[in-house]
Amino acid sequence: MNIVLLSVVLGLAIASLSFKKSISALISFALMMLVLGLYYISLDAKLLGLFQIFIYTGGIGVLMLFGITLIGTEFPQTKNNPWTAAVALLFFGVISALFLYSGVAVLPHASVASVEDKTSFAANFSDVVILFALMGSSLLYGTIKMIKVLNPKRRKDV
Amino acid sequence: MFEIDMLFAFALFSVGLYGVSANHDFLRIFFSLEMLINAVILMLASSAHYLGLTQNLSFAYMVIVLATLEAAVGILIFAAANKFTQEIIPDNFAEEGDK
Repeated sequence: MNIVLLSVVLGLAIASLSFKKSISALISFALMMLVLGLYYISLDAKLLGLFQIFIYTGGIGVLMLFGITLIGTEFPQTKNNPWTAAVALLFFGVISALFLYSGVAVLPHASVASVEDKTSFAANFSDVVILFALMGSSLLYGTIKMIKVLNPKRRKDV
Repeated sequence: MFEIDMLFAFALFSVGLYGVSANHDFLRIFFSLEMLINAVILMLASSAHYLGLTQNLSFAYMVIVLATLEAAVGILIFAAANKFTQEIIPDNFAEEGDK
């Protein structure tokens, strides 16, 4: 199940970079974040999963939609450097080999059933509220300021 | 399963790396940056689950907060630059601004 979810995430990530239409790319990006949030929930990190879904699929998705209103619905044609894909593949190979042969992969696995301790969550509830407030206020600030930037200047006679 | 999670996180990071270096328009660079950040969050979440490093979840929350701030400020900077230059490729901002 985990492999299926992660494969979908990877496929949607590649799709969001390869779509020509920016709205399709944005939908693919939002779906990727949604599936990643569901994966975190399946890992028993429910709060992290909900953060992921609310913040990325909701907040950042809407901010990107604002960005698309500036750009238009089609990406411009640009020249691609053929070496970039090779460098990314090389990076993946090197970092995977380092991980698999360094001994990190065979660290003893924990036997805990759930990683989110509900009592500590209740004790640190105020911290979580502060985090949410910080994220919400930054998203609101970005949105309001962008509306101000995008608005044409008011005429004097209005 | 920890190994598979980490390999997928590395793959997501590589896709983000490719997107940042290969694309020139603002929105795709932005998608790629979010992918880089999400690969790190995936590593933190899987290590918290499989290795019992529960403090990594706190780091993951902090990374999400930073990503949100980056998204809000980044799109704002782009909107302001786009208003003056009518350009959507960040590399051309300076050239358009000089005109």
